[in-house]
Amino acid sequence: MGNIRIVTDSASDIPLALREELGIEMVPLKILFGEETYYDAVTINTEQFFEKVAVSPQMPTSSQPSPMEYQEVYERILQEDPGVSIISIHLSGAVSGTYQSAVIGSSMVDGDPDITVLDSKTASYAYGMRVVTAARMAREGASKEAILTEIGRMERETQLYFLVDTLEYLQRGGRIGRASALIGSILNIKPILSLDKEGMVYAVDKMRGTKKAMARIMDLLGDACGQDPVVVTIAWNTNKEAALEFLELIKGRFNVQEVEYATVGAVIGTHVGPGTMAVFMRRV
Amino acid sequence: MSLSKRSINGSDFTAMALLGAEYLERNVDRVNALNVFPVPDGDTGTNMNLTIVSGVRELRNKPSAHLGKAAEALSKGLLMGARGNSGVILSQLFRGFARSLANLEEAGTLQIAAAFQNGVDMAYKAVVKPVEGTILTVAKEAAKHAVQYARRTSDVVELMQEIHAKANEALQRTPDLLPVLKQVGVVDSGGQGLVFIYEGFVQHLTHSGTIQEKVFAFPSEAAAPEEVAAPQPAAVNRPSAVVRPTAPTSAQSKLATADIEFLYDMEFFINRKISGKSAAFFNEYAFKKALGKDGDSILVIADDDIIKVHVHSRRPGDVLNLAMAYGELTDFHILNMREQHRDLLEHEAAAEPFAPVPEYALTGDISSTELLAGPAAQVVAPEELHELAPFGIVAVALGEGIANIFLSNEVDIVLSGGQTMNPSTEDFVNAIESLPAEHIYLLPNNSNIILAAEQAAELSGRQVTVIPTKTIPQGLAAILAFKEEESAERNAAWMKSAAEQVVSGQVTQAVRNTSIDGVDIQEGDYMGIKEKTIVSSKPSLLEACQLLMAALVEDGGELLTVLTGEDAKESDIAALCEWIKEAYPDVELEVHDGGQPLYPYLFALE
Repeated sequence: MGNIRIVTDSASDIPLALREELGIEMVPLKILFGEETYYDAVTINTEQFFEKVAVSPQMPTSSQPSPMEYQEVYERILQEDPGVSIISIHLSGAVSGTYQSAVIGSSMVDGDPDITVLDSKTASYAYGMRVVTAARMAREGASKEAILTEIGRMERETQLYFLVDTLEYLQRGGRIGRASALIGSILNIKPILSLDKEGMVYAVDKMRGTKKAMARIMDLLGDACGQDPVVVTIAWNTNKEAALEFLELIKGRFNVQEVEYATVGAVIGTHVGPGTMAVFMRRV
Repeated sequence: MSLSKRSINGSDFTAMALLGAEYLERNVDRVNALNVFPVPDGDTGTNMNLTIVSGVRELRNKPSAHLGKAAEALSKGLLMGARGNSGVILSQLFRGFARSLANLEEAGTLQIAAAFQNGVDMAYKAVVKPVEGTILTVAKEAAKHAVQYARRTSDVVELMQEIHAKANEALQRTPDLLPVLKQVGVVDSGGQGLVFIYEGFVQHLTHSGTIQEKVFAFPSEAAAPEEVAAPQPAAVNRPSAVVRPTAPTSAQSKLATADIEFLYDMEFFINRKISGKSAAFFNEYAFKKALGKDGDSILVIADDDIIKVHVHSRRPGDVLNLAMAYGELTDFHILNMREQHRDLLEHEAAAEPFAPVPEYALTGDISSTELLAGPAAQVVAPEELHELAPFGIVAVALGEGIANIFLSNEVDIVLSGGQTMNPSTEDFVNAIESLPAEHIYLLPNNSNIILAAEQAAELSGRQVTVIPTKTIPQGLAAILAFKEEESAERNAAWMKSAAEQVVSGQVTQAVRNTSIDGVDIQEGDYMGIKEKTIVSSKPSLLEACQLLMAALVEDGGELLTVLTGEDAKESDIAALCEWIKEAYPDVELEVHDGGQPLYPYLFALE
């Protein structure tokens, strides 16, 4: 058969239109405001999420999909397309149980289906772009091996940095590890976060003020990419204007071949809060 | 001169030093008045005086007829009390002097001259960038002359007269060596201080015996009230609402005794008033945070002079050491909660099995178990404890707002110190000792405090790194470059380079008419100072700031931090900010209440 289908979760922040165009299956994480549950990118989008955050007395939390939710998706695909190979790419297992659920979900599918579940060890469109590439390759008839090789190459070539506007959410989420030392600062500190090779979030640096933080991120990207041709994704949640300004700075400095736009979704938003932007830069 | 002396011993030297100190003290204002800068930083005399007061106090505590021992006592006191550049240099001069004489009961001219020379060598070594035309030059010329002259005379009195005369001569030439002195028309202040001390030495030797009693009446105790002030706990207004921590209920009895992790229940007061020279700025948030590193049930109630502290800790010694940085400690209660718990369990076992367990208040009847931590109490030195925090940071700041900014950025202790009251070496040493940390960083944040910090680093015997920050803006940049998980060497390099990337500006009012750096300055003018250079002087504060800003942005910069002083008016601040936003739309502006005296604004551009 050789047919390949791609599955991901909602934290990959792939725009809906693109997902539909490429036939990517998405299993949503859940966003909880106290007792109220929303399905990320299904029953709540980024804009609605931050509107709700502003008025809700409760702070949102996110929770991984259940194994059964994955199982159902895998089984439906296998029913639609018997003999299909599935590649399922997910949010870093070091920060979420999303990947774990997918692994369990795949083991619950009867028969001996060909399901490859990958821990992206990263977040947001940093693996969203891999999912998109995988889906495009699958549509063009690439083999599973070729797709996995390309995903591995992209993993090595991708730099990602989050520029966070407030320390408040990071503190509550308790997922920032070493960045916690900044909490309590009176100064206007903007943490720059990334994920390490193990998929753990870490504070790369702390800068005072957005402009200095942008300059620092560009220096870091410069160290890795120099003047090599790159594809840049700029992403934001509530601050499109600032993100586009940042993009202009990036375009002025790097050899940008292609630009993609994405929204930092509610799952990441739960942990970083509003005003967050992200840059994903990949050498081509 | 009819008097002559072939040698001096410890008693002679003690009397010389006391009179030297007295001469300096009498002339403190004159030394202070030799400001080379028309800004109110005329503190050289004060710093040197405080340094020598500390020196002679030690000398009185350890009187010795042995010259080497007396000199060592003075040296030790000077080292501990050293403040300001001149004070530190003074301490180094006598440190070298004392080393040279260490084994001598008494000394003649050759040995004394050699000792002066050794002091100069020591001081030059200690100062990173020796500047000629300062106290260093005065000491150097005098010592050089002494070495030559000692070959010609065996009379100590004559030698000391020569040293004094030569020192004075060198002092008069300091304006030739240091252009800024010439510009203003003064001699170097630190050098002048040293000449006064030498003058006291000579006066003792030439009037030996006649003035001695008066000398010993030198009222240094009066200058150090913290030594004589008796604690007056009764007069202290303690917070009336003494809040107890939530009393553990019977659920506690279900715990295993070993589960009580923070087993020492501590309660005590820190008296800020008694301590007089408590240099550490108290910030409740930072103090609680420090206690929280190894404790729980933390309760801190700060009044003006009294701070009540309650904490459960594994390491009572650490807690006490930490608290001591802020003042004198009184009314200790330290209980072992495991012991209490064991008592409770025994009590319960003996009681009716199903009877409700009585609520037991930790701080209830403690008379049987309370431990009074008097002088004999065992306060374990930080080094002996099983685990130390990996790092600790001490910074110097002036102004409550600035202190709070440092404390909110991982600084553990802020020593208050500014232009008029520099923290001494001893203040640094005390701060270092109160921190149970493996590696300690010092941020002096003032070029006049760096030496004292470096001296403290050397004296403390702990792992201490001085980041030589010269201004508050540099200090802020340095602290943000700090990374907990990195090595001390890399941190020191990063912090230094971060400090260097900041352009510091300050605005203050001139205290006299003068001309410096080609800028004509009228008394009462506001001067804009970029790093160390005066770039503007205007009667209008806003105008001075505008000209200063223009100078600051010359080298670019993306973020401007304005620290407003205690004298800055709301309306002025608003007008300044509006102007900055309009004139420099690309610069991100951040305004913080610094609360510093004398400087309406400090600027940091990075």
